[in-house]
Amino acid sequence: MLISYNWLKDYLGEGLPPVEEVVELLTFHAFEIEGTEEIDGDTQIEVNVLPDRASSCLSHRGIALELAVLLNKKMLDDPLKEEVKFPTYDGFYIEIEDKDDCSRFMLGLMEGVKVGPSPDWLKQRLETLGQRSINNIVDATNYVMYGLGQPMHVYDADIFSKKDGKWSFVVRKAKANEIITLLPEKAGGEDREIELKGTELLVVNKENNKAVALAGIKGGTYAGLHKGTTNIILEAANFNSTLTRRTARNLNILTDASKRFENEVSNTLPPYTMRAIVKLIKEIAGGEFMGMADKYLAPQVLPEVLVRPTRVNQVLGLSLEESFMENVLVRLGAKIDKKEKGWLVTAPKDRVDLVIEENYIDEIGRIYGLANIISIAPEKLPLAEINSNYYYSDKIRSILVSLGFSEIITTSFRDKDQIHLQNALASDKEYIRSSILPELEKALSLNVQNIDVLGLREVKLFEIGTVFIKDDGRAVEHTVLTIGGRIKKTGYSPKDDLIVNEAIKVLKETGFVIEQSAKQGVCEINLTELIYNMPTPDKYEESTPLPNITYQTFSIYPAIVRDIAMWAPEDTAVEEIEKILRENVGELCVRITLFDEFTKDGRTSYAFRLVFQSHEKTLTDAEIDPYMDKIYKVVKEVGFEVR
Amino acid sequence: MIKKEGHRHPITATIAEINDIFSRIGFSLAEGPEMEKELYNFDRLNVAKDHPSRDMQDTFWLKDEYVNEPTVLRTHTSPVQARYMDSHKPPIRIIVPGKVFRNEATDATHEAQFYQLEGLCVDENINLGHLKGVLEYFFSNFLKGEVEVRFRPSYFPFVEPGLEVDMRLLSGESKLKGKWVEIFGAGMVHPNVLRESGIDTEKYTGYAFGGGIDRLIMIKYGIDDVRNLYTGDLRLVNQF
Repeated sequence: MLISYNWLKDYLGEGLPPVEEVVELLTFHAFEIEGTEEIDGDTQIEVNVLPDRASSCLSHRGIALELAVLLNKKMLDDPLKEEVKFPTYDGFYIEIEDKDDCSRFMLGLMEGVKVGPSPDWLKQRLETLGQRSINNIVDATNYVMYGLGQPMHVYDADIFSKKDGKWSFVVRKAKANEIITLLPEKAGGEDREIELKGTELLVVNKENNKAVALAGIKGGTYAGLHKGTTNIILEAANFNSTLTRRTARNLNILTDASKRFENEVSNTLPPYTMRAIVKLIKEIAGGEFMGMADKYLAPQVLPEVLVRPTRVNQVLGLSLEESFMENVLVRLGAKIDKKEKGWLVTAPKDRVDLVIEENYIDEIGRIYGLANIISIAPEKLPLAEINSNYYYSDKIRSILVSLGFSEIITTSFRDKDQIHLQNALASDKEYIRSSILPELEKALSLNVQNIDVLGLREVKLFEIGTVFIKDDGRAVEHTVLTIGGRIKKTGYSPKDDLIVNEAIKVLKETGFVIEQSAKQGVCEINLTELIYNMPTPDKYEESTPLPNITYQTFSIYPAIVRDIAMWAPEDTAVEEIEKILRENVGELCVRITLFDEFTKDGRTSYAFRLVFQSHEKTLTDAEIDPYMDKIYKVVKEVGFEVR
Repeated sequence: MIKKEGHRHPITATIAEINDIFSRIGFSLAEGPEMEKELYNFDRLNVAKDHPSRDMQDTFWLKDEYVNEPTVLRTHTSPVQARYMDSHKPPIRIIVPGKVFRNEATDATHEAQFYQLEGLCVDENINLGHLKGVLEYFFSNFLKGEVEVRFRPSYFPFVEPGLEVDMRLLSGESKLKGKWVEIFGAGMVHPNVLRESGIDTEKYTGYAFGGGIDRLIMIKYGIDDVRNLYTGDLRLVNQF
């Protein structure tokens, strides 16, 4: 919800603290603030109003009240405070097919308005909220919606045909294949004709049975405003949240109005909003208010909620005074009826979200300040159970790692497989894997290409993860262990099987009953079945903590490999040679690996592999040669013989 | 010579470390399916059908033809709360590490799959102070330094009050030191969730928390792109 700081000032006057303080207050007591932006002498504040508070806080009045409560101040003028006394107008007829779909439908008539541009102050307010001004009447409907949270709609009274001398409105479900023509998405856009399924709720002109609005979502083109409009019908209604949500989602028409109805804005708002808009239109477009008609079939009943001060403290872990709690509830506008068992609390009319004791505990806690919760250190307690599945999976990890295997975690998504997802956004995620093998193969190929950079002689990988298969037509999941080995950059060679079979052999020796063996250098084992037959463990092994490292981004450019072999006196320490190499090889050398060593006639031969790689580009041999020349020179200088 | 040992993936190594830390204070490790019934992923967690709170998580749905009832790739590890409470009586203390899925565009900080850690404690006289204490205990052990935890109001349908958890490292050499980091979501378990599992909400209260394990790892080790955790590339894994 975008909020205009200047608008909040209308509600709170000089009592409104500076923007930074408003942001701070809301952040620690009410809502997350996504950001602020200065716009033309005003500040736009983006308040992330989550679903629990959206019934009352998708409005400036709601946010202003929050601040008033937090600042312990009164709003200068609360538009919901004074009861509305309006004359009834008997030129309207309203029929609601089902009160569950529409609990309230209110109409008002204004005569003699003049459609024209909005005054600058109004244009500016809308601009702060990222809205474009259309004309004074339309702007007025938007303004009161952003002000009070109640969506409104306007019809041209002279175009809207009458039945038996009355403007007659029906709120009913659409008929299958019924057509409605909606106002364009943006001003100046094209009208949209929509064919309905029959589940949608419509506002209909009874005289000609024409749909005039997709209830709670979007107005129709019928009886729309135009430049010469002088008499207008104002509509403020309340439509069912679930129904509005379903229709808006099905048709993919999400509007400011649908958002407020789907969040169950209070149905007590229409008269207050009608009063506000009539006042505003008179001021900016002239005209006379002739009266209103109100069909209020399901008056709002807010529950009396038992709130026990002892329970409040018990859940928050605090010892707040009862007087403080009472003060908070009163500031919120709630009514308290103190009984022996606790307080019976009734929420103010717009707070339809306060329905259970926990909601009030939340209110008291956040207004007091959740940052003030006092922590209680946990006690050492024995474990209730050891998770066998986790225990054995982890044991297998330890064994395989000790054998030189590295663990990978790959994607569960596939572009083609057995189990199809209904709504994947990306085409490479339309299926979920029935096997890890395809991703393991990819990882083997990827890593064997980098074998020198990694300082490995062979790539040994495993993954433990969930796969999804079709069993008798139904999707089922189980865990698998997938192991693979790869020696040659060119692909599978029979020795790869030995790598995998060695791992399987060790796992078998540890007590795992495995019948499979490697095929094409890989093997996938049903781990769920394997573990099912294992004895129940009685305690976890202590984990080995990860090294305390800072991750280094790896280069995406290919590496250049150079080997150097030399004869050194038998007692020369490898570390000493490595140090000499390290000091002279330059920064592009990312790895030095000793890959061969043998002793003959009092001398030892050492063979090192040097890997050069840049973070910025693909290196050429010519760039490496000078470094190698230097190394040869230095090695000779120390007295070793380069082979 | 070439190192003989292989490397654990930082995610599973971190899960093992997390399990160590929590097992000392009596939290058992629990698991649940990755392919989860809508019932457990949403309904049982007080996320009603056709409620705006459903929009908080972009969900992968399985095609109807494969399933007997509406089924999703779990969007969080929270369904295990309900599953565990169905089969166990309080006192309950569990952690649930596991893979979860979100149907959204991927970038350096968002993946369609990631790992989440869930925590649940249900017992007599449990309050927000216990939640704060257990989180401070966890973060300080995990980051090996003194950690301060701060709560801010928020909303998750399965808790009330619901809150955001910020943490700040107070000691050590880490780059993180002194900065508030938004890290977990948490709150007191919503009575509807307890009641659905037949737990007496007058006798028992509980807290729950959850957050991304990937994010914990990224913060702790300075990994800049979450996607690199899932490419099977040893240039990442073998650094650990």
